[in-house]
Amino acid sequence: MSGLIQQLNNTGLPQEFMLKAIFYIIAASTVFFAIRMVISPNVFHGAIFLALALIGIACIYLYLDAEFLAVIQILIYVGAIVTLFIFAIMLTASIQDRTIKQTNEQVLLSAIVAFVFLCFFVTIIRRNPWQAAASKAEGLALAQLGRLLMSAYVLPFEVISLILLAALVGAIVIGKARK
Amino acid sequence: MIPQSHFLILSAILFCIGLFGALTRRNAVGILMSIELILNAANINFITFNKFLGSSDGLGQVFAMLVIAIAGASAVVGLALIIAIYKNAKTIFADKINLMKW
Repeated sequence: MSGLIQQLNNTGLPQEFMLKAIFYIIAASTVFFAIRMVISPNVFHGAIFLALALIGIACIYLYLDAEFLAVIQILIYVGAIVTLFIFAIMLTASIQDRTIKQTNEQVLLSAIVAFVFLCFFVTIIRRNPWQAAASKAEGLALAQLGRLLMSAYVLPFEVISLILLAALVGAIVIGKARK
Repeated sequence: MIPQSHFLILSAILFCIGLFGALTRRNAVGILMSIELILNAANINFITFNKFLGSSDGLGQVFAMLVIAIAGASAVVGLALIIAIYKNAKTIFADKINLMKW
């Protein structure tokens, strides 16, 4: 983030304004890509739009001082999970055909439900008086995060490894060809 | 600089888009993609609260990592299930898969 701020200082505009403008552009494009992912009739295009939306979310992590998580997001989500989705789309045929309906008959009802949820969330968020930003100046350093993961939060870390092992075994068992 | 509520509203918008996608998609892969979007919205919330409320203990970031790992595991198992169903039933449309419906 500091390198970006250095570069922005060279432009004439005030740095605060530039950072804010970039944030809102990224947020708007993330929402746009997410909507395109949900409504695109071709699932393959949906996977590409999902990748773009995930990159936008990684940029938002940078604004929240979570640089390591932004890198993780791009490596794991865009690098691995979206690739996996594209593999699954390729392996299951006849879905790129535009004549097949891709949405079920509950579109209107689901849109109402999602909109009501959104209004509910926004009302609650607007009503709550969030305290001003805490005085925490520095983000969490990567070395500190790694030390925390191995000392205070070793239980979630072990749970992750157990879940990944179970998922690995489960995927092999399910995906194995039946004799 | 950017208020906390704007991050939370962005996360709420992404959650609702993912909810809409999970409810309306017929394709099982599309449903899984929407669920990934919902998990990402939760992640934005975790990291936002870690920055604005937390002290320097990094609990939100650690749990965001946990969520990313669980999302990866769920995607792997879900796609294995989808491909196994496709081998048997020759379809991946969720409304056509009614094998266990009474």
